[in-house]
Amino acid sequence: MTSPAASLSAVRVPKWAFAVSLLGLIVTYLVLQENGLALGAGSELLHEFFHDGRHALGVPCH
Amino acid sequence: MTTYKSIALRGIAAGGIAGVASALVQLLVTEIPIRAALAVEEARAPAGEEAGHSHGGEDELVTRGAQVLGGMLGVVIVGIAVGLVFATAYALSKRWFADSTPFTRSFTFGAAVFGAVALLPWIKYPANPPAVGDPETVNYRTALYLGVVVAGLVIVWAASWLAAQLRAQSQPVRTTAVLLAVAAATAVVLLAFPAPPDTIPADMPVNVLWQFRLSSLAQLATLYVGIGVVFGLLVDPATRRTRAVEKASV
Repeated sequence: MTSPAASLSAVRVPKWAFAVSLLGLIVTYLVLQENGLALGAGSELLHEFFHDGRHALGVPCH
Repeated sequence: MTTYKSIALRGIAAGGIAGVASALVQLLVTEIPIRAALAVEEARAPAGEEAGHSHGGEDELVTRGAQVLGGMLGVVIVGIAVGLVFATAYALSKRWFADSTPFTRSFTFGAAVFGAVALLPWIKYPANPPAVGDPETVNYRTALYLGVVVAGLVIVWAASWLAAQLRAQSQPVRTTAVLLAVAAATAVVLLAFPAPPDTIPADMPVNVLWQFRLSSLAQLATLYVGIGVVFGLLVDPATRRTRAVEKASV
């Protein structure tokens, strides 16, 4: 068996992986930060729905 | 040959599992001081009137029950999203404990991410429960918070760069040098960023405030260290080999 670390560092990361990561960051932003900047009127519902999670994860609120 | 797709799927699974664990900590632990803080907020507002933000009451947008559920769902979604980004960063990292096992790599990476994006902002701008925080300053506070998160990630990146530069040194010397550099950089960040702008209202009990802050930290640790541990279990071939041996011996 080859060294596990060596076999993992051989992973080829395709270009679309960066798009996928960006999507992950955008989702995180929408859940934790959306104050009306990106979604406008629909954001208040989202903001209130995820309210407790945002407080619990320590993100500034109110 | 491991593909990026399989790594990404394991990141999603690790994020989902750590997210569910963190959401359970929220339900069983963090919700207790949140309820106490909401009681403080309600006692403050004249009947039916709340400034721009509802936590139940007649004109509510979302009921309290939905906020508890939505909060947990939000933590799970954030866990999955972070797990995906974590897996991508893991697949890209060439110098992060390159001579260690995948589990050690994943665990230390998870612990470092926890320090950068959770513990550091928690120390500089401690989490606040509902009923604390001036709506006027929320954008300023958010900018400061994100600034500290970015500074923390830069410190983690720089630490791995420094460790790679010091490859010629013995391991104890290298570890000590990197730890000293991280401590110095952390001190600079803590001193350079301005103090939190809001004062804690006098009607917020200190024990509720700190119960909330410690619950929040426990939940963040569950999420980030959890992702490191679960992802490590999923990517390390050692765990699969053990299972195969167990099966063969049955």
